[in-house]
Amino acid sequence: MAAAQQATVDTGKVKDLLAAHRAEMKRYLSHCMHCTLCAESCFLFMARDKDPRYMPSYKVLNSLGVLYRRRGRVERSFLEKIKKIVWRNCVLCRRCYCPVGVDIPRMIALARAVCRSQGVYPDFDEQGHQESWL
Amino acid sequence: MEEFIRGPLVWIAFAVFFAGLLLQGWLFFRNTSPRQRRRLAVPEPKKKKPQKDKKTPLTPAALYAWLVNGSSACYQRHWPRLRRTVLFTHPFMTVVTVVFHTFLFAAPLLARAHNELLRRGLGAGLPSLADAAVDAMTLVVLLCGAIFLWRRLLVRRVRAITTFYDYLVLAITLAPFVTGFMAAHHWLDYHTVILVHIGCGELMLMAIPFTKLGHMIYFFLYRFLLPGEYSFGQGSRAW
Amino acid sequence: MLGQLNPVLVLGCGGCTSICLAGGQREAEQLAADLREDYGNRGGQLEVNTYTIERQCNADFFADIDRLAGDYQAIVSTACGAGVQFVAERYPRLPVLPALNTDFVGFDKDVGWYEENCRTCGDCVLGETGGICPVTRCAKSLFNGPCGGTRADGTCEVDPDIPCAWFEIHKRLREQGRLELITRVRPAREWQNQIRRTVIQEPYRERYGK
Repeated sequence: MAAAQQATVDTGKVKDLLAAHRAEMKRYLSHCMHCTLCAESCFLFMARDKDPRYMPSYKVLNSLGVLYRRRGRVERSFLEKIKKIVWRNCVLCRRCYCPVGVDIPRMIALARAVCRSQGVYPDFDEQGHQESWL
Repeated sequence: MEEFIRGPLVWIAFAVFFAGLLLQGWLFFRNTSPRQRRRLAVPEPKKKKPQKDKKTPLTPAALYAWLVNGSSACYQRHWPRLRRTVLFTHPFMTVVTVVFHTFLFAAPLLARAHNELLRRGLGAGLPSLADAAVDAMTLVVLLCGAIFLWRRLLVRRVRAITTFYDYLVLAITLAPFVTGFMAAHHWLDYHTVILVHIGCGELMLMAIPFTKLGHMIYFFLYRFLLPGEYSFGQGSRAW
Repeated sequence: MLGQLNPVLVLGCGGCTSICLAGGQREAEQLAADLREDYGNRGGQLEVNTYTIERQCNADFFADIDRLAGDYQAIVSTACGAGVQFVAERYPRLPVLPALNTDFVGFDKDVGWYEENCRTCGDCVLGETGGICPVTRCAKSLFNGPCGGTRADGTCEVDPDIPCAWFEIHKRLREQGRLELITRVRPAREWQNQIRRTVIQEPYRERYGK
């Protein structure tokens, strides 16, 4: 695990994963209307004083959205950054509502899969987190 | 240039619009496949046999009772889900959006000037509304557009995910209405304004299938055909 | 159990088994490495890969496995029993083996330490027992008071290391001033002939014609 943390990102693997889901990913990302009507459907958004960073659309656009725009060419530090977005800021409860019908949890799960493919995932027995993964 | 905008580009714009929508629809069906329900062992919903209604006596009292019972049962069945929809969580935005979209379609389709052109070009047009009505609809569209712009600029959570692209698409959408209103009232040089109006309309038509305005068909495709908690029905396709 | 099945996919789960440190990505990868090594030590060679999906109990997370499953002769799932069966049903021609024993619904006493609190009996009496479950906490799962074998220090006659559940219930209810609840007689539970249960939430019944 420590060795994996030092390794560079296998961009080919990331690109393959993104390519396998290209159709839905491209369409969902481009058809997001940026309307923020999904916000109130996320209980984390409501529990965190309506912080915009917990909006489902924000979470997707700043994790998978960036991955898509950069065509999968990212650094490990970027994956560590979005690890916080897609794991700590989202529990994949699948309650988010989108008036257009964008499957937001699917996008979060895809971002998580990209992270997992590079060995980036939460350690549930890590002590000393300010905010737990749970 | 002018002749091109007034002439062939009109046909091109409509062709791109219709072909683009068809293309996006086709791509959707190509990129999805029928959801294999059997593999997931989800039971097929039993087709409800139509119940033979007990004959309700046609007295006003009986009909009233049927109405009250029926609507109360209907309410109890649908209220929990209805309450969680965006109509109740964001009433203001929902109303603005519905009104905006209704008049967005109604104003151009029912404008007398547009229908006159249709009659000249294709031989038939839609029924038209009075100019004053179309003016009112246009102004409402612009007002709603202004509300959208206000949201983008001033509401913190909307600003958090707003990009230049959002402003651009809003401008593309509102431009035909602004210029159309100006042209109808002969503000500034009519000749120039009408040309700009036509150009803006063509731009908007061509932009619809290839930008986020594609939600025109995608709303229906996603909500009706893809399964989900908020989908209309069980959803028959999967990516 | 794997026998001659080769290659094998160890399917990790990002849900509950991740959180209880039993079947997440790290544990799945560890299992794969152990299997590889074990086969190697016995002179064989097992081709084993891992893939972890977010949950194995929901079809929405299986898109990637649908593409991969055909490459393997068996799947070893580190999900709970629900996940293992879901995978087995989705790929009926593929042997799906459980890597774990699913024990209980419990709570985190501390990191890595979990204790049973619920056995999903489907007929909760916690409201009447002060929040203490007689099914899990009583060794005999008695429903109407202690068995009479409670030791003097309030521990269970079956296992002196655990408190008598009904003694605890009595204490709790007395503290809350609701002691009269303890005299309520609860009917016997139908433990046999329990078929697979289904729940469809009210707002969705119409969607499925129920």
